[in-house]
Amino acid sequence: MKRNHLNRLTEIFNWSAILMVAVTMLLIFFWAPTERTMGDVQRIFYFHVGAGWVSMVAFLIALVGGVLYLRRPSPLWDTVALASVEIGLAFATMNIASGSIWGRPAWNTWWIWSPRLTSVTVMWLVYVAYFMLRGAIEDEQKRGRFSAVYVIVGFVTVLMTFFSIRFLRDIHPVLIGESSEAAQGLQEFESGLDSARMGITLTVTTLTFSLLYVAWLFNRIRLQRMLDEAERLKMQVIDRLQRST
Amino acid sequence: MTNKESLLTPPVTTSHSRSQPSARSRAYLGTLAAIVWKEVRVERHTRRTLSVMLVFSLAAVVVFNFALELELDAARRVSSGLLWIVILLASTLGLNRSLAAEQEARSIDALLIAPVDRSALYLGKVISVLLFVLLLEAILLPLFIAFFNKPYWRPQVILIIILGTIGYIAAGVLVASMSIQTRTRDVLLPVLLLPLSLPAVLSAATAVSAFMGPELPTWSEVQAPIALVIAFDILMLTAGLFTYHYVVEE
Repeated sequence: MKRNHLNRLTEIFNWSAILMVAVTMLLIFFWAPTERTMGDVQRIFYFHVGAGWVSMVAFLIALVGGVLYLRRPSPLWDTVALASVEIGLAFATMNIASGSIWGRPAWNTWWIWSPRLTSVTVMWLVYVAYFMLRGAIEDEQKRGRFSAVYVIVGFVTVLMTFFSIRFLRDIHPVLIGESSEAAQGLQEFESGLDSARMGITLTVTTLTFSLLYVAWLFNRIRLQRMLDEAERLKMQVIDRLQRST
Repeated sequence: MTNKESLLTPPVTTSHSRSQPSARSRAYLGTLAAIVWKEVRVERHTRRTLSVMLVFSLAAVVVFNFALELELDAARRVSSGLLWIVILLASTLGLNRSLAAEQEARSIDALLIAPVDRSALYLGKVISVLLFVLLLEAILLPLFIAFFNKPYWRPQVILIIILGTIGYIAAGVLVASMSIQTRTRDVLLPVLLLPLSLPAVLSAATAVSAFMGPELPTWSEVQAPIALVIAFDILMLTAGLFTYHYVVEE
């Protein structure tokens, strides 16, 4: 992709993301109805679910970036995987933090080591360790190859997080799809959305967060290109200095 | 020395026979057997992996017993978790030791020159490390029965422990092959491997502790964690088979 195109696309995504975030805020705080049993606290649900969903999608795209890199090593795929892990982690952190804040009024505790909360913590740790791996390798190609393999293997924890509440007894409700009979007994409230407005707000939040992901991804790719360019120029300067002396 | 010599002695077969699928799979199995045999022979001469794992586990069990001495009931309740912690940490040491020694002796390069499938190298390594860890568990389990008075002898428990170990080692060989090639190799392996293997280990520990009561649990109680362990094993082995050659080749 040419630099001009990249810059323009980044700009378009930036502005539409800003606009959509503003619209989403309005929807969440003013348009969505107040939930009957939990009251206004329930509004955190939109952030929580939206961020959780987009973090998993980001990790999936990191996996795709890793596979493409292994098929044909190119710095772009490495950057896509790296950026997706970074952004996915940001959303996963939002998801965990908002869940914890919501857990306080809903379950009367900030944290429980239930299967869902455990597996999401494990997932978070696995993707944090991704940066440890990258930091420990100097050779660019080896770093790309190893982090591609790691990001593929690490996706197992995303699958486990996604499916854990569907199999194991958990206090955490299942939003998409049916939960198993064993899990249903422990749920504190019905996970069905009792109003169309809630459904629409959730959909819009998820779309906005996805747009935010795309915007961040483009900014990150642009940033990486600038870093590479700066590195190249630095080398040129060093080269010229050495020749002149 | 022992590495090279042992590479030659077992029935080494190369994958030249591409004509029949049965001949090819026999060649593959031959390669696999050769690699496992090589590892076992090296281990028998040097005892580099098993000795470290064993001494570490014994020290860890003693430390745990000391820490939980005042609360024997609590120690009994958490014993299956303790067992897994000991296995995890000991196999991390074993993996590091086994793979780093191979890297230092450059014997991995000799293996890579051989015209064999990379997945056979991976599987061979997984099977051999698995053998060592299973041997370690065979020593640990009687100790745990003695210290905590819990029914670790139940065949179901042993089966779950084996299943959990398979997934852990499948992930471990892949990750350790990467971490030993980095700057911070000894530190990096536990940082990468412990969280990665937790889904399998937590499920296995849950399933094992369900079998610790006086009565056997019903199938529906342990079905989900066991299914998760098996799913993890399959996913990790598949990922390892397909990506191992990207890790070992330059």
